[in-house]
Amino acid sequence: MPSSVELIQSLVNGVGIGLVYGLIAIGFCVIYNASGIVNFAQGVFVMLGGMFAYSFLVQIKLPLAVAAAISIALVAAIGVLVQILVIRPMWQRKAPMFAIILATLAVQLLIEQIIILTFGDQPRTYPEFTGGGPLKIGDIAIDYQLFWILSCGALMVGLLTLFFNKTRIGRALRACSQNREAAALLGIPVGGMLMLSFALSAALGAVAGILITPTQYTSYSVGGPFGVNGFIAAIIGGFGSAPAALAGGILLGVVQSAAIVLFGAGYKNVIALTVLLIVLLFFPRGLFGGLAKRA
Amino acid sequence: MALLVARNLTKHFDGLTANSNIDLEVPEGSLFAIIGPNGAGKTTLFNMLSGFLRPTAGVIEFAGVEITAMRQHKIAEMGLIRTFQLVQIFQGMSVAENVEVGFHLRTRGGITSALLRPRWLRRQEAEIRAKARELLDFVGLGQQAEMNAELLPYGQQRLLEVARAMAAEPRLLLLDEPAAGLNTHETDALAKIIQQINARGVTVLLIEHDVGLVTRIAHRIAVLDFGCKIAEGTPEEIKQHPDVIAAYLGTEAAHA
Amino acid sequence: MTLRVSISTRLGSYGTFAAISAVGIALLFALVFIQGGYLLTVMQLAMIYGVFCVGLNFFMGYTGQASFGQNAFAAIGGYGTAILCVQFGWEPVAALVASMAIASVASLVVGYPTLRLRGHYLAMATFALGLITYDLSVQWTSLTQGYMGYAGIPPLGIGRFVVEDERLKLVCLMAILLFSLWLSGRLRNSRFGRALRAISTSEAGAAALGIRISQYKLAAFVIAAVYASAAGSLFAHTVGFISPEVFGLQMVVVTFTMLYVGGVGTVLGPAIGAIIASLLPEIVRGAGRFQDIAYALALLVLLIYLPKGLSTLADLGKRRPAEQGGGN
Repeated sequence: MPSSVELIQSLVNGVGIGLVYGLIAIGFCVIYNASGIVNFAQGVFVMLGGMFAYSFLVQIKLPLAVAAAISIALVAAIGVLVQILVIRPMWQRKAPMFAIILATLAVQLLIEQIIILTFGDQPRTYPEFTGGGPLKIGDIAIDYQLFWILSCGALMVGLLTLFFNKTRIGRALRACSQNREAAALLGIPVGGMLMLSFALSAALGAVAGILITPTQYTSYSVGGPFGVNGFIAAIIGGFGSAPAALAGGILLGVVQSAAIVLFGAGYKNVIALTVLLIVLLFFPRGLFGGLAKRA
Repeated sequence: MALLVARNLTKHFDGLTANSNIDLEVPEGSLFAIIGPNGAGKTTLFNMLSGFLRPTAGVIEFAGVEITAMRQHKIAEMGLIRTFQLVQIFQGMSVAENVEVGFHLRTRGGITSALLRPRWLRRQEAEIRAKARELLDFVGLGQQAEMNAELLPYGQQRLLEVARAMAAEPRLLLLDEPAAGLNTHETDALAKIIQQINARGVTVLLIEHDVGLVTRIAHRIAVLDFGCKIAEGTPEEIKQHPDVIAAYLGTEAAHA
Repeated sequence: MTLRVSISTRLGSYGTFAAISAVGIALLFALVFIQGGYLLTVMQLAMIYGVFCVGLNFFMGYTGQASFGQNAFAAIGGYGTAILCVQFGWEPVAALVASMAIASVASLVVGYPTLRLRGHYLAMATFALGLITYDLSVQWTSLTQGYMGYAGIPPLGIGRFVVEDERLKLVCLMAILLFSLWLSGRLRNSRFGRALRAISTSEAGAAALGIRISQYKLAAFVIAAVYASAAGSLFAHTVGFISPEVFGLQMVVVTFTMLYVGGVGTVLGPAIGAIIASLLPEIVRGAGRFQDIAYALALLVLLIYLPKGLSTLADLGKRRPAEQGGGN
């Protein structure tokens, strides 16, 4: 039986990883709400964020802020590229849902293979943003990186909320999610909005990847699990507002790290699925589904 | 005897009242119509009656049994069969196959029998093919039986939906705007078909926009406006009802 | 005339495409039998994937539900067979049937809550299921031997008669695939199959006619799982070796491609797609380390330009009236 210190420690770690899941979940929601498409390749953006940050930081030795900014911009550009080259033509041909999902999976496969060719298949990581940690509170150690994750996560959610509520473009994007035809009639460029949603969601994934990589590692294959966990968080959150998705992510992260302490690290995805199935069994529309709808 | 009874039926959507305190009694064997302008709450009412929406308050009884919280397929099993305003044709199936699906409740057989095809099953299949053919002839689609159903023109898809519903041998047939999108010729044909269905002993409840069609064939009419029932009576009574003229016929006449 | 049309809708509007494919496939088999060697293995795997796809087609094609996690049930079949044969010395056929039984129970337990979901939710939940099974097959080493996997799985056979010759293996697998196709065709054109197909285009319409949607979806899911399990076992018996990688994400993409290429919802589509898509990587094999990239690119091009599958090529000549709104 693990000690209470271990459990509290895992709780702390869980909040960190959970916030990252939450950011990925928000990425899912942004695209889904704008287009009705679930981008199964969402996790790839997380992997790319970590990979690019690694190469700018460690290989080219740029300062952190610059490396992060370039990585985010690059990943957002890749997101736009995916939308223009793959999603948009399929969308225009009224491709069935499963064909679009298959296409996003193929995109994931493609990007992963390109990464293997260019970056190799070795796991990569870089140091935490602030050295010197961890912070000790009694027997509990808190990595400084966790504070970075917490503050950046809060910042992202705050910015997104402002963006969706206060800016013209953000409001237009919300209008698209509520009724695409009506939005088009109002003169909102729906196609451009779709592109924007891919850029935004890719950027969110990149932020998540840059934040989490120092606490673990990134490699070509981390996209799949991140994508699935992010989607599970989105489902728990009810595919509605950003705070709900974030809450879903934190819940999942905490349960998962508690499970790692109790059952071992290999079973964390198994536990995540179990959480998902339990949530779905009792709340088919997500835990915060009802609330999020009105938010 | 009333076959279908609704009491105090109310439905709120996020603070919006779509139906409020609707009382309805559809007598067995009648041809009953519900009319009302767009957005009067007709389809909401229909969805509640057929189990596709849970009412916020109120009770629905069918053949003396409360069906308020019953699942759609249970309600169908009891003999209440509906059609849809937006036709729900089974695409990728032939016209005949669409009607064959309609016999679902009147036939039996699962996976094992489908694989072994015992004699009773072959007889049953032959029977429903023949009956499907009859129903298609009845609605005038006999020629198109082997066509892919999604290739039918819109008006004929509506007729197909009626034939399919009839295959389920309903006690009460709910028709949701069956004349929507039909031309006058098709509407006349449909009116005749609905009357014949009623003459076969099937109680019919229809929602309609086309007042001319309704006043011609219905025995009794209820009028909805802003989610409330504002009148009920025979077609003659309804035509002269001042509220109805104001709420519905008046605006219609003004637009005409 | 009407007879021809009738046969084609009852088989799933195929016609010429199927006929051309049938001739092509017959020629291909002749070539493979004479040539032997590596192509034999490719075709054996195509037959196995074909069985998997016939099952997937029940759930995705006939019933119109997306499952990206059928590889989980193939893993149950493969590991069930491997463990029962290698560790407990079971007869291959008994192990195959027992694994199918386990898969059917597993799919019932998993499907009951999962199938409450629709569309993307269902797709992602099932996708997660496949990943979880992969993790289990890596982590649960006491049962699965982790990355090592199982080797020395005996070939199929009954009593003394063991199918060891590669050509004979292919013939047996072909017979099994034909048998699965026959089952699929019979079920499709029955009360059961019609109900499934009704659900695929309009759940509301089906429910209004008294069809118990959740029950039928679950039945289709279980059938798909049993087929997948059989395919997993057949793989184990044919190749003699399994590891977690066999049942990974690759399998999901590959089988999906096959079904999509052959024609979703048609009787013969899964088999035709399995054969075509098995040969595709052989063509791009020359690309070396770029093989996976070439495969993904080819798939993307296909998806972008023919989003409804290769079988729509057959319909290109026909003009269809604009689609009516109303389906969901």
